[in-house]
Amino acid sequence: MASLDYAYRRLVNTLGPERVARSEFERMVYSHDFASLPKIALLQWRLYPDFVALPQTTEEVAALVKLSDESLLQITPRGGGTGWCGGSVPNRGGVLVDMRKMNHVLALDPDARTVTVEAGATWKEVEDFVESKGFALPTVPLNAIGSTVGGAINSGSTGFGGLRGGSLRDAIANLDVILPDGTLLKTASQADSGGQLANLTPLFLGAEGTLGIVTKAVLRIVPKPEVSKPLTYSFSDLATAARFLKGIVDAALTPYHAALMDRDHFVFERALRADSPDPTDLALVAVQGSKDDVADQEKAMDGLAAKEKGTKLPATIGDRLWRDRYNNYSARRLSRGLMISYNLVPLRGLPAAVEKAAEIRDKLKLNGSVQAHVVDTTTAALDPYVLMDDTKPSGGTALGFVKRMVDAAFKMEGHPMGLGLFLVFNLRKMHGNATSAYSAVKGVFDPRKKINGGKTFEVWTKYPWPGLRAIPPPGMAIGLEVAAILRRLKPTRDRFVRAYEHTKEG
Amino acid sequence: MGLLRDWNYVEKAVQIPALAELIREALIRALFVRDDRVLPPDLIGDLNRVPPVTVKVKEDAEVRKLVRVLNGQESTVSLGLSAEDYHYFRTQLGVGRTREFGVTMRPRTLLTYDWIVPEQRGVQLDFTGYAGIEFAEDGHRAIAQVGALWKRLYDEALAQGHYVPFVPTVPLDFAVGDALYGDAPFSSFRGGFASYVNALRTISPYGQRARIGFEEVANHGTAYDLLHATIPLAGEFFIPLSAALRFEAKPAARKTLTYAFDDPAKLSPALDKLSRFGPGVNWVHVTDALAAKILRPAIAPEAFTVQVSLGATATGIAAKEKTLDVAMTGFKTKNAETPNPYDVPVDAYRKTADAAARSLFVGEVRVPAKSFGDFLGKVRAFGDQSAAKAGAYASLQETGTASTYPFFSAPKDRIKMYDLSRGIRAIVARFPGAAFTSRLAHLWEEEPNFLRRMTLMRSLKLEIDAAHVVQPLVVP
Repeated sequence: MASLDYAYRRLVNTLGPERVARSEFERMVYSHDFASLPKIALLQWRLYPDFVALPQTTEEVAALVKLSDESLLQITPRGGGTGWCGGSVPNRGGVLVDMRKMNHVLALDPDARTVTVEAGATWKEVEDFVESKGFALPTVPLNAIGSTVGGAINSGSTGFGGLRGGSLRDAIANLDVILPDGTLLKTASQADSGGQLANLTPLFLGAEGTLGIVTKAVLRIVPKPEVSKPLTYSFSDLATAARFLKGIVDAALTPYHAALMDRDHFVFERALRADSPDPTDLALVAVQGSKDDVADQEKAMDGLAAKEKGTKLPATIGDRLWRDRYNNYSARRLSRGLMISYNLVPLRGLPAAVEKAAEIRDKLKLNGSVQAHVVDTTTAALDPYVLMDDTKPSGGTALGFVKRMVDAAFKMEGHPMGLGLFLVFNLRKMHGNATSAYSAVKGVFDPRKKINGGKTFEVWTKYPWPGLRAIPPPGMAIGLEVAAILRRLKPTRDRFVRAYEHTKEG
Repeated sequence: MGLLRDWNYVEKAVQIPALAELIREALIRALFVRDDRVLPPDLIGDLNRVPPVTVKVKEDAEVRKLVRVLNGQESTVSLGLSAEDYHYFRTQLGVGRTREFGVTMRPRTLLTYDWIVPEQRGVQLDFTGYAGIEFAEDGHRAIAQVGALWKRLYDEALAQGHYVPFVPTVPLDFAVGDALYGDAPFSSFRGGFASYVNALRTISPYGQRARIGFEEVANHGTAYDLLHATIPLAGEFFIPLSAALRFEAKPAARKTLTYAFDDPAKLSPALDKLSRFGPGVNWVHVTDALAAKILRPAIAPEAFTVQVSLGATATGIAAKEKTLDVAMTGFKTKNAETPNPYDVPVDAYRKTADAAARSLFVGEVRVPAKSFGDFLGKVRAFGDQSAAKAGAYASLQETGTASTYPFFSAPKDRIKMYDLSRGIRAIVARFPGAAFTSRLAHLWEEEPNFLRRMTLMRSLKLEIDAAHVVQPLVVP
């Protein structure tokens, strides 16, 4: 391996000194993603990258990838860092490639109904741009403000618009990817919307940056709807709100978005902003279309909500929640840290699933909120979050929540989303006998494991010694299970919000 | 749609010194039509070979065992055949062989043409008897065995309160498996067949049951989306046995509106507008006069017929119809009585399918909706030049693409198929944004990015099917 100083000089020669960082502070910023990592994780991994590189062009990304052949440093691509399972965090230092300087919207083709964007652009930026041209994105990830196009593709996100606009996979016409050998691959033929001409795009969906670095995406766009209207309904409990969401699909309605949030979320919001809505278990539904169509959908939604004894809330609440829809985790400010568990569960079992999530949260004595949204006619995303303070000794044990949620998702015939450092142990559980076929994909694209290695089929550690270089993925599961057990042994419930206990009782 | 074997064969053939002098397209033509003036007799013999053994699959255990025998994990003795069959099996498969043989799946109904390279001395699986459908008790989904007929799936789903969103653009009597290892043209207004597949139950090349995807939920964020990357070529990576399919709820009200157009210059902008319509449209089916006559022989055909299937609440459907009428500017007549190709009794469907299947199809052309009329005009002119009357079936998608299946009234011989395909390719090249996606078009394509992707696909196949059992690649 070349010396770090030599590697630094080569990086600076490629990008210039202002776009290569190696100070401790800058490296520290990149040592975690949206989830808080307990300090104990530093015993297992070198989470701090050796260098942070900020390329501005596809050619620069290719040059960085080729440079790693000389330096033998691992490459970790990163978008907005809004992931929650350590997919964009280094495990052995190396070069972290921050894509956020590649954030331009390159072209909008109204005839082909596509927009071409660089991978570092955030979804909100892209959405604002296409809306200014009279179009809309068919689907937008949950954290659109911070989530970059490349990041969401690599995590295989779901989010707003799925029920109506289809999956993120359906919304991508083509990708430019720098492969581990430094060459550029276009993953599909743009004219071939059905993907018959050897479409490799799906392989990069959810790949967590382990097959290559996405630098550009051609996304489909749809005409901007004439009217868009958010509706909110309050329910007696969360399971009833879940039944309401299921009822929407059973009635063959296709709103743009249908989600639920529990009252705890609003307790946290109220602690931060006095003017936030009153705590309640509610469903948020956004309908779009022509004026007549929206009126008809609203009537149908009102009818479905009435069946479940739901109460329609004033339009101001819906408007506000819709306006703030991309900023869902402000509760993080109460606790310094927050952990999200993102799972897909069958829509038919959503009422039971939200109850299970609340039960796990309460058993582990955590503060948190249960949330879910409809992904398609069979699937719901169950994405509860819990608050944690990783500066306290008990803080890291909140990670046990993720393990328990994952186990519950599997029991419900669903699956967790994401792999990364923390969820790698799920791969075999997810794919069973087909796991070897999945590992073949990595073998074909990155046989030398140059890009984001050690996060899919094995867990690399920072240690170079045989026997300790990697731990089997189930080892991670054991670690998280221990965290969950320690969490249960904790005598008291977390109290990040004074009103929380009171709310739980009321 | 299986393709890698043909593609690999052509790629290897162009490297043979004796054949390298032929240009790629001439070689493909010679291989496709089995031209004995160009190709050596041995090679022609290989291309004309048919799999000697056909196994009618009744249960997946048989397939598992067969695969284990073929990849050498088990002996033929364990197949439990009678002495006569055992002898035949061993002789035909050439156990103790010197070249690869494997297992291939036979599509029930093939829209276009057979593959260039047939299975060499291996086993063909016939899934016509493997046709169960298991609807979920709660939720809009079903597990359909690959031999299950689409029409049966569609009718039974409706009876149980579900709606199967994907329909065959050319209404032949396809089985579900035909979309995985054949060329069934299933699609909806909102997406292709793959968008509605949650998972495949398969047998891996090592004889294990392997589920690709998740039966009850969508496949997002689970490492690589191998399911959707391989669906068009699924039969070359695994042996698909069943598909977990995602449906929609049956809408409270459904209505098929039929618009007639007499001018292609009015049809194209109307289709373009219609493709921006939004939710509520289940499918849009377009036919020219020739196709309309086949589908509805009792009704005088219009120059162009656009059928739009709407689904909505009982009150909402009127609003949708109103908006639709505005979008379909320029139509000549409109009615709500003309039957659509799908909601008809099964016998009538089969009768129509038999009639439609007589035509010669060359594969799919994806053409921008706004160029559809122009494209069709060129196809018809080409048909007239080739002494083969031309027509087309198409389905419109909300991406603004008309998935078009040109056909010809001509005998189905391979020379004609090839020449007509080449003619369509030449027409497609004149339309920006159009793509010809037939198997022959894949073999002709020499765009570097496409070749790179195919090479990666082939590498992936060789990694996953290291046992060389599932449609093993063949070299000339």
